Amino acid sequence: MSALELKGVTAGYGHAAAVRDLDLAVSAGEVVALLGPNGAGKTTVLRTAVGLLAPSAGEVRAFGRPLPRKVEKNSREGVILVPDSRAIFHQLTVRENLSLARRHRARDLDAVLDRLPRLAPLVERRVGLLSGGEQQMLALAKALLARPRVLLVDELSLGLAPLAVQELLPIVRTLADESWVAVVLVEQHVDLALSVADRAVVLHHGRVALSGSAADLRADREAVRQAYFGGHAPEDALV
Amino acid sequence: MDQLVLFVTLGFGVGSVYAVIASSLVAVHAATGVLNFAQGSIALWGVWVAAELGTTGTLVLPLGSVALVDGPAPALLAVVVGVLSSAVVALLTHLLVMRPLRSAPVLSQVVASVGVMLLVVSLVPLRFDTTGAVASPILPSGTVELLGAQVAVADLIVLALALVMAAVLAAYFRFTRWGTATRASAEDETALRLTGWSPDRLAALVWFATGALTGLVAIVASPSIGLDPISYTFYVLPGLAAALVARLRSILLAAAAGLAIGVFQSLLLMMSTYDFWPIWAQAGFGDTLPFLLVMVALFVFGKAIPERGGVQSARMPPVRPPRTRPVLALVVVASTFAAVLLTEGGWRFGVVTSVIMMLIALSLVLLTGYLGQISLAAMAFAGTGGFLLSRVTTEWGVPFPLSLVIPALAATVLGVVVGIPALRIRGAHLAVVTLAGALAIQTFVFGNPAFTPFEGNQIQDPSLFGMSLAVRNGTVLTTTSFAVMVLVVVGLLTWATARLMRGRTGRAFLAIRSNERAAASVGIDVAGTKLLGFAFSAFLAGVGGCLIGYSRSQLSVESFTVFVGLTLLCTVYVAGITSLAGAVVAGLLAPLGVLATFLEGTLGVGHLYSLIAALALVITAVLNPVGITGSVRHASEHLIDRRNARATS
Repeated sequence: MSALELKGVTAGYGHAAAVRDLDLAVSAGEVVALLGPNGAGKTTVLRTAVGLLAPSAGEVRAFGRPLPRKVEKNSREGVILVPDSRAIFHQLTVRENLSLARRHRARDLDAVLDRLPRLAPLVERRVGLLSGGEQQMLALAKALLARPRVLLVDELSLGLAPLAVQELLPIVRTLADESWVAVVLVEQHVDLALSVADRAVVLHHGRVALSGSAADLRADREAVRQAYFGGHAPEDALV
Repeated sequence: MDQLVLFVTLGFGVGSVYAVIASSLVAVHAATGVLNFAQGSIALWGVWVAAELGTTGTLVLPLGSVALVDGPAPALLAVVVGVLSSAVVALLTHLLVMRPLRSAPVLSQVVASVGVMLLVVSLVPLRFDTTGAVASPILPSGTVELLGAQVAVADLIVLALALVMAAVLAAYFRFTRWGTATRASAEDETALRLTGWSPDRLAALVWFATGALTGLVAIVASPSIGLDPISYTFYVLPGLAAALVARLRSILLAAAAGLAIGVFQSLLLMMSTYDFWPIWAQAGFGDTLPFLLVMVALFVFGKAIPERGGVQSARMPPVRPPRTRPVLALVVVASTFAAVLLTEGGWRFGVVTSVIMMLIALSLVLLTGYLGQISLAAMAFAGTGGFLLSRVTTEWGVPFPLSLVIPALAATVLGVVVGIPALRIRGAHLAVVTLAGALAIQTFVFGNPAFTPFEGNQIQDPSLFGMSLAVRNGTVLTTTSFAVMVLVVVGLLTWATARLMRGRTGRAFLAIRSNERAAASVGIDVAGTKLLGFAFSAFLAGVGGCLIGYSRSQLSVESFTVFVGLTLLCTVYVAGITSLAGAVVAGLLAPLGVLATFLEGTLGVGHLYSLIAALALVITAVLNPVGITGSVRHASEHLIDRRNARATS
């Protein structure tokens, strides 16, 4: 049984469908990278998977059951989205932000701070005063504390220094390996994404343009490049 | 010294109610971003429910009533049920009114909460026997000696209760996970839902709890404050003032400020008994205190109050500038004239009042609908006009057309003064300032015995070129000549306003309404244009007030109370606050207008007028923010679209 399953999902905004007839299944312990150019529908897939957006056709199932309609209920059941806006609260302190994570036990906090040691000295600081990288760390820490069973991460690398990304992405990998979490990574940084993912799906105009194991795609960069540009990649385009 | 202590403690009763209202306002604002003008009404309902239980043992509901016990209910039962009633009113306000409006324009939220406020206040005299009702004592009646003065124990207990309640609320927000989540919801509701919390439930909890706390303190304080069918409703103003002083952030500071206002009002009362205190400052001076405080607070802390001058543009109901439609205008004028000729007595008076009210409604359309400045003070400007009219005609003997202009210009000056805070504050906060200003003008100016002659505010009948334009002639209640004069004055001013709205100034108004910074960036003088809007709007209201004055021959406070002003705002909003047509319809619906005449004279249910107006306002605000004229326009556009579609197919 897949932890998260999208069957024939069409979703979008108003009359415009951003994702068309998409099938995607993610098992526990698996990391799937969702790639594609801007406007390919990656974020829409995540929003639909967590229930922020109702699909106009098709079905989303989590742990074999249809997804509840309320976002907060999904979150309490362990379907956690870290959106590109990070879903953290700037007026609260780091500790207060972390305390809001559902399902967490007191000792989980220490374990999470062990994984993100750079966050530990900042717990009493107001989030608005943190740097972008520290905020992203907090967003990830808050998601980890909620003991996710499905973790959806939108653009972890957004606005971050490459070194910071190299610190954060392996944590996601560890989570899948050790805690048996199903992870979907939306990422613009193709190499990084392929280095931690088991599988990758390239979207183009809301449809799957290419999918395969991360190892295969790493080996065949030309296919990825073609998929990114919908099959008409200019000669000098870089991915 | 002992007298000072005595008056300080006398202020505790009412100060405690201000304090709990202020802390509740901050809490509700934190949870939902709403400034709840109905918080005082929530207290009012609970106070009356408890008082009725305490005397007759009957639980009064908005519809129907239940006899809980035979004879007077025990004090504890009365308090508990009263507190629960307040809490339920608050919860229903959230669930039925404010939650559906959570992403609506601020204007809708303000008028909706004003609607709830009016709804409760018009329901109380209908559901309770308010003549001679007394709240039975709940707390021990003894006194203790404090710094040489005999102080009522009850006042000290109420004070302690209010402070404890504020502390409990503050602790909830500061130290509990739910409170932390509620603070987070003020920042980003979607992010909170992604974290697994329901902002709706957190908000509902805060509404319920603050309703209960407000009810509790008000009920326990009511024996010492006294029962009154209105006053608790307007306790929201000192509460709002205190909440703004606390920058809508600190619950404890808000409570302290509320308490301070109560104590200070009591001290003002003490000082007014001294010989050196001027006579004109004896009445109503305490009511100007919240206004002064809000002004100072907003000027001093202006920058730190949340949601001020946000970069995102304010959302307001859609506007369509008036077009030149001489035929339609002619039809409206002709039919009004026909209505005047065909009616007599009370009906004709209703028609003429409607025409006058349309002018005041127009001042609201201009200021609130067009310029986007939420003003609750239109009726106070009108009242200023009316009261000065009495002066200039009886004391100075100024002849007719000039007698309209001078008071209207004075109202204009006042309008600019009230408009100055609008240069720094916006939205709901401005509504607070204008409401506080209106109440200050009402009690300090209109209601001040020092400004009212012994024989009342008489007004000389107008005449032009030797022809009498008096409203009464023998047994005729409203003369044709007076009606024509009103029609001409209102018609000319409406034409001028329509031109203003259609032209360059109107565009500038709309630009400021949608985004002040963007307007400034294209070279619009934001401050000047805003003041122009306030000035013009106050001028219209001032002329309207003069016409009301002429139609009564004598003026009283009742024509211009804050209550009438808020009811007028209701009708303008229900009719459609963004269009000229809305003002016309609002005139028909306005207090003492055609609809009121119909309800009173034909159906005999005039006492239900304000209830119906408030209910209509709440329903309109929730279900149909474009108002009656807006929905008529939508419907006609829909029909035209269909006809065009058929024509092309």
